[in-house]
Amino acid sequence: MANSKKHKKGYEACSGCGVCLLVCPLWRKTSSMSATRKGRARAMQGGATPEEIASSIDACLMCGSCGPACPEEISITEMNIEQRRRLNESRTKYPSWYPKSDKTISAAPHGPLRRSAILLAGECLSADPEATSRVIRLLGGDKKAALAHDDGRDIAADMEAGLPLNDKRIKSFIANISNADTLVVAEGLLHFALMEWLPRKKIKGLGEALMDSASLSKSLGPDDIYIIESRGYHSDFERLVKYYDRLRHETGCQMNLDLQRIAIPTGASSLQARHNIETAGCLDHARWIMKGRRVKRIVVEDLADVKVFQSISDVPVVHISGL
Amino acid sequence: MKIPVIERGSIPPDHVAPDSLKGIPRQQTNPGRWQGDTWQDFVEYLKSKGVIVRQERSECSVFVTDAGGLAYGLPHGIVRPNSADDVSKVLKAAQMYRVPVTTRGGGLTTEGESVAFGGLLLDMSSMNNVLEIDPDAMTVRTQAGIFWHQLAEILRRDGMDYLSAPLNLTASVGGTLGVGGIDVNSPRLGCSADQAVALQVVTPTGDIIACSETENPELMERVLLGYGQFGVITEATLKIRKFSPITMKYFYYSSLRTAIEDLQFIAKEDAADYCGILTIIDRAITLLVAFDSDEREKEFNSRWRNKLRGHGEVGFGIRMAWHYLMHPWDFKEAAYIIGRRLTLFPEFSRPEFMRDGKIVDRTVVFSRAVWKFWGGKQMVIPDLSSNAEKFAEAVERGNAVCRKYFKYYTLYCVGIKLRGRLPRYEMSCIPSDASDIAYGCEFEPMLRDTDYSRDYLQAFKNEIYDIGADMGLSYYRFGGMMKGYIRRVFGNELVDRHLAMKREADPAMILNPDVIF
Repeated sequence: MANSKKHKKGYEACSGCGVCLLVCPLWRKTSSMSATRKGRARAMQGGATPEEIASSIDACLMCGSCGPACPEEISITEMNIEQRRRLNESRTKYPSWYPKSDKTISAAPHGPLRRSAILLAGECLSADPEATSRVIRLLGGDKKAALAHDDGRDIAADMEAGLPLNDKRIKSFIANISNADTLVVAEGLLHFALMEWLPRKKIKGLGEALMDSASLSKSLGPDDIYIIESRGYHSDFERLVKYYDRLRHETGCQMNLDLQRIAIPTGASSLQARHNIETAGCLDHARWIMKGRRVKRIVVEDLADVKVFQSISDVPVVHISGL
Repeated sequence: MKIPVIERGSIPPDHVAPDSLKGIPRQQTNPGRWQGDTWQDFVEYLKSKGVIVRQERSECSVFVTDAGGLAYGLPHGIVRPNSADDVSKVLKAAQMYRVPVTTRGGGLTTEGESVAFGGLLLDMSSMNNVLEIDPDAMTVRTQAGIFWHQLAEILRRDGMDYLSAPLNLTASVGGTLGVGGIDVNSPRLGCSADQAVALQVVTPTGDIIACSETENPELMERVLLGYGQFGVITEATLKIRKFSPITMKYFYYSSLRTAIEDLQFIAKEDAADYCGILTIIDRAITLLVAFDSDEREKEFNSRWRNKLRGHGEVGFGIRMAWHYLMHPWDFKEAAYIIGRRLTLFPEFSRPEFMRDGKIVDRTVVFSRAVWKFWGGKQMVIPDLSSNAEKFAEAVERGNAVCRKYFKYYTLYCVGIKLRGRLPRYEMSCIPSDASDIAYGCEFEPMLRDTDYSRDYLQAFKNEIYDIGADMGLSYYRFGGMMKGYIRRVFGNELVDRHLAMKREADPAMILNPDVIF
């Protein structure tokens, strides 16, 4: 992404239709136009500087919902990251939820991994070794799948915060995973970047990778609501919207999709939510997802969502690897 | 270089010259900005009442223009009301300090009606809560700043749907009720405003009043299709129905008149649940027909299908191919039509919105297509509305104007079922001589890749509206930049009567200035 040469539309292309705000979790929470992508684009068209709209830029959860909704096909996620980058250039103090510099991540100790599938677990999943080993088992076991020692979580965090990306660091990360056929990405923002960095690889989210196993999809039914991890889904929307639509049709389960087939996010994986799920609005977003639903189980792709849904619902919440 | 001498008076009107705006004083297209002498006192007063006015550039710039993208103006400040009480405080203060107040929902106007040329902008989209769904009465009570799409999201969780709404995701309920609201089921169900059972309105002097057809009916009739002149709608109770996916059929025509006659036939016979015409230039004319149930579709197939003169896609394709073989110099036009057909129609049948051959969430499907294929930073959509008898001629004359000004454009025609002659239809898009069903046509040029001057676009709109003035029709978008036509079309007597009512209701004339009066 940092090296992208392709011309992409920016805020100046926004026609102000407002379709993006219908899917924006911040709009739903605040009802404030200026907190949304449309608000920021319009303000910048009107001459506002990133500093003037800093609170809106910082509030964005980078859920990616606005991207596929945009009829102008503006590269919104990239634009959001770019605005954070520009804002960072002009400020001396970062928000408290920004990532701290992590020097502990280094290249893989044994050289590049050689498996058909490599799991990039990210911070939340790798903190739960039991869930991680279940995922590896479901991906075909140790012979077929491996857990990446370097899962690029620092890159994803820097990207989300609009902090400068180190080309050398990205190269070493990619070198570690470049032998796999399929990369299974639990951290959605990385999904988006890897599609550009490794265009010939199959990049899958945890849900798609695990649901390919028939036994898992058979265990879903109309009494379940299945919570799609929004960042990965929106990164590859044109393909995944069909995939999940088929899954929904075949299993009869409900999903956190709105009428535009955009995945309603909880924002649980955002940097802000890692700091505090309540102030990040995750509970409000989860309540909206569950409003009026009659289900007996909540199945989540993103392990971070388990805590969120447990906080707002009495219905059992299971991670997809625990189906 | 020799410049030929041209006799004075022999030059035809220039598209971009002032004399092209026949009968329309130029200054009316661009209202002057309110000077703001009492602004600070007004803001302080509101602050003392607990109403926050946002004045930052970043807040105000969000509302610098509307969907039309031709009128630009900045408010001095913005209020996002949370309740009717907030709106009431704003309007009472505005009367006192004579501050203009512009209300805005989705901002989907095209003539600058929701653009504030100074003063206060009331961003009603903050009032977007659904208050009650009553499955027995089949109604929903909602705050009026809600977008139809948000309302649909909530209704769908109960298996319900609204009756009719504009094919636009970000149109607000309040804004729609204020102008009418046309859907492809309007030939059957009427305009969206006719789905309103009751309203809560804040009058221009700040009184909060409940109204319906039995309670304060005069206010109800003034506010519905009232273009925001007689009050701010803060709550609406609307009819709802059970949600159902739809089946869609297309019939293709090469003659506008034939397609219009068939549209009117379907509307008159109530042969379909939805119908409308959508064209690519005036060559590929599509009559869309859709059904809420298999029974209705079956009935259509057995009773009405054979009476329509439209072709299937293959038959029409062959006729088009023959036409362009005979007119090879029009190959660019043919390529445009084919390209448009290949990209647009699949959008109506994206697999994620289809189930068993039916379209689920038709409003999403249509609205996405509207923005993707017709949206842009600038949009002009002049329109004509007429009774059944004059409609075909009006569309043909409007089409000729489109041909003159633009290479590529779309016409969108639809019917509107009337509920008798209600007072709300006065000074609205419903022509005074229409009975049972009125018809409307939008003329939308494709502006995407070409920069047109504002004057050129204004001249185009004027020429369309001149047809209306000539034929005694009406318009949907007669406010804002087009308000110069109001007296020509509605006549002095009616306009003066409404102006007197407005002066009585809004002594300082502060609510939505420059829209109508």
